[in-house]
Amino acid sequence: MNLLEATDIVKDYTGHRALDNVSIAVPQGKVYGLLGPNGAGKTTLIRIINHITAPDSGTVTFDGHKLVQDDVRHIGYLPEERGLYKKMKVGEQATFFARLKGLSSADAQRQLKEWFERLEISSWWDKKVEELSKGMAQKVQFVITVLHRPKLLIFDEPFSGFDPINAQVLKNEILRLRDEGATVIFSTHNMGSVEEICDNITLINKSKNILTGNVEEIRGRYGKDKYLLTYTGEHAALASALQGSCASIESRPDDKLGRHVAEIQLVDSEARRPAIAQANSAVDVYAFQPLLMSMNDIFIKAVEEANETVPPEYIKQ
Amino acid sequence: MKSNLYLIIRREYLERVRRKSFIITTILMPILMLGLMAAPALAMILAGTESKSIAVVDYTEGIAPMLQNNDELVFRAVDKHIAIDSLKKSENYDAVIVIGEDAVDNPTNIQMYTHSAPSMMTESYIRDQMRYAIREIRIQRYDIDNLDQILAEIEPNVGMTTYRLDTEKEEETSSALSYFLGLAMMMTLYMFILIYGQMVMTSIIEEKNNRVLEVVVSSVKPRTLMLGKIVGIGLVAVTQIVIWGILIGAASFWGMPALASSVGTDGDADLLAMIAQFGDTGRILVYFGYILLFMIGGYMLYSSVYAAIGSAVDNVQDASQLSSIATVPIILGIVFSMVVAQDPTSNLAFWLGIIPLTSPMVMMARLPYGIPGWEIWLSIALLVVAFIFMVWLSAKIYRVGIFMYGKKPSLKDLARWATYK
Repeated sequence: MNLLEATDIVKDYTGHRALDNVSIAVPQGKVYGLLGPNGAGKTTLIRIINHITAPDSGTVTFDGHKLVQDDVRHIGYLPEERGLYKKMKVGEQATFFARLKGLSSADAQRQLKEWFERLEISSWWDKKVEELSKGMAQKVQFVITVLHRPKLLIFDEPFSGFDPINAQVLKNEILRLRDEGATVIFSTHNMGSVEEICDNITLINKSKNILTGNVEEIRGRYGKDKYLLTYTGEHAALASALQGSCASIESRPDDKLGRHVAEIQLVDSEARRPAIAQANSAVDVYAFQPLLMSMNDIFIKAVEEANETVPPEYIKQ
Repeated sequence: MKSNLYLIIRREYLERVRRKSFIITTILMPILMLGLMAAPALAMILAGTESKSIAVVDYTEGIAPMLQNNDELVFRAVDKHIAIDSLKKSENYDAVIVIGEDAVDNPTNIQMYTHSAPSMMTESYIRDQMRYAIREIRIQRYDIDNLDQILAEIEPNVGMTTYRLDTEKEEETSSALSYFLGLAMMMTLYMFILIYGQMVMTSIIEEKNNRVLEVVVSSVKPRTLMLGKIVGIGLVAVTQIVIWGILIGAASFWGMPALASSVGTDGDADLLAMIAQFGDTGRILVYFGYILLFMIGGYMLYSSVYAAIGSAVDNVQDASQLSSIATVPIILGIVFSMVVAQDPTSNLAFWLGIIPLTSPMVMMARLPYGIPGWEIWLSIALLVVAFIFMVWLSAKIYRVGIFMYGKKPSLKDLARWATYK
């Protein structure tokens, strides 16, 4: 069952279309990745889901009904640009935000104390936010985001600004919340940072949805019948030996030992065994293994398939 | 979501009322104002010893002895044989007056040379002294017995008391007092609208820069946040006015009778009239009520304009140009009030008192003169309609503006945002 469905969302700003018929369906209790370069339209989509702005057309359903203002009480949102009231004390501020989400003052304080103890930040309660470091303030903001036990958690660039240790702490907390039943949306331009924890993803580029689906399924699809062959010998000999069983083959030097790595696309999965034998007869094979594509590579592929230019920051040097 | 509006208002209100600066200004401001009013008088008492000496070269030989010194001016008759140029250069004298031989018959033949421009007060004092002296000499020429006494008997001492017919009892009024009271009320209102209106603007800019805004609007509607901020800050202004009202009310109730008894009945008539007016506690509280009503109306109207501007810009510098949309009408209100205070029942006064943009300030200037109740309530009603419209319009701009970064928006942009879905 899907907790959230956004269908055919269109949002225009003067002179440019921020979202062009984008649809996503977020299954209950899963982690969903909203991936794409900066400026692709991710934040606009999140604002629509948060009921902050309205789409020009398209519908959003939450928990089976059309999204209404009251639903934001069941959403926790950590915006990309973090911010708190600087002059307000940490405890007071966290209570204020929790009450905006519908918690009673007593409930909010009790749960805050729990969270503060778990994250070992209890001593900050009476400090003003301006006295905290940036990382400390982010931790407070994380607690504020999740405190009201929302059904849907939305994190925009969640790990930017955290040191690796704290990023791991947060990652574990988020996964714990998921295990307790929360649904999570990660929005990020950094494909690598979330790929191992997302169950489903949507890739957005230039306001358009270019790829949606289950991560394993997408990986399988993009890596289908793709193998890496490590060898010593002549590329030409290998290529001619594999003719018939492989659709494409590209070689590049691998290491100082003079080995090469060939990226092979087989014609179908039946061709694997004959291909191994053919390669073995033509060159000296060290390894033959399935090619696992990173989310970054998949993004590049998907962008190319959509006949768009790949944003330069995603092309590996 | 009504409770969210309450939470926002509460946060905005408490954040400001708890500040030391609020407590200090609220308590100290009235004291400071009294001090400012008393300061010129005190300065005069303390600095009164410094007088200017004026050399008088009198060719008539009759006028100079009759010139009376006062606290500031000392006339010194100088031998007419001393060269005038050397007197002019002398540092012993601040000014030199040369009275021509025929000055009694031809009073234009009098010259004054000064090192710096004399004040109007000084000049008119000297002129009065000259006129008095010349008149005395002319009268003496007629050589009539007991002339001084006769003149004193002839001179009427006019004292007219004005009674207002429009109020319930025929009360004594002083239009000068109404004038100053009106201006004081108008300045108070102007200060409040400007200071608190701009507070709304800067606070929104701060939230926007701080990025805390996006966190808040993920819980409440932008409109609720804007309204909560306006109302929360407005309540701070109301708190301040009410505290001042109580302080002044108390001063009027207990302070003025005490002052009146210490001055006694034979004191200066103007002072007594003033004490009587300020001792009328009921009336003062009624005025404060009106200040409060017009302040709320004017504040709501202008602060929502300021809110829209604040939402659109990234920093206070960018706001300065746009905020003239709000500042110019407020200043115009002040300018018109000055005009209206001279003639509070004119057609111009009526219309400026009805139009919502200028009405809060103009009505303050008019109120002390006593104007029909229906005019006051019509003005308030129109003000309320205007601010409801303005809050609605500003909310539409605000909703879009808070997510706009980087570009300095024009008035045209704001108008376009207002039409977004």
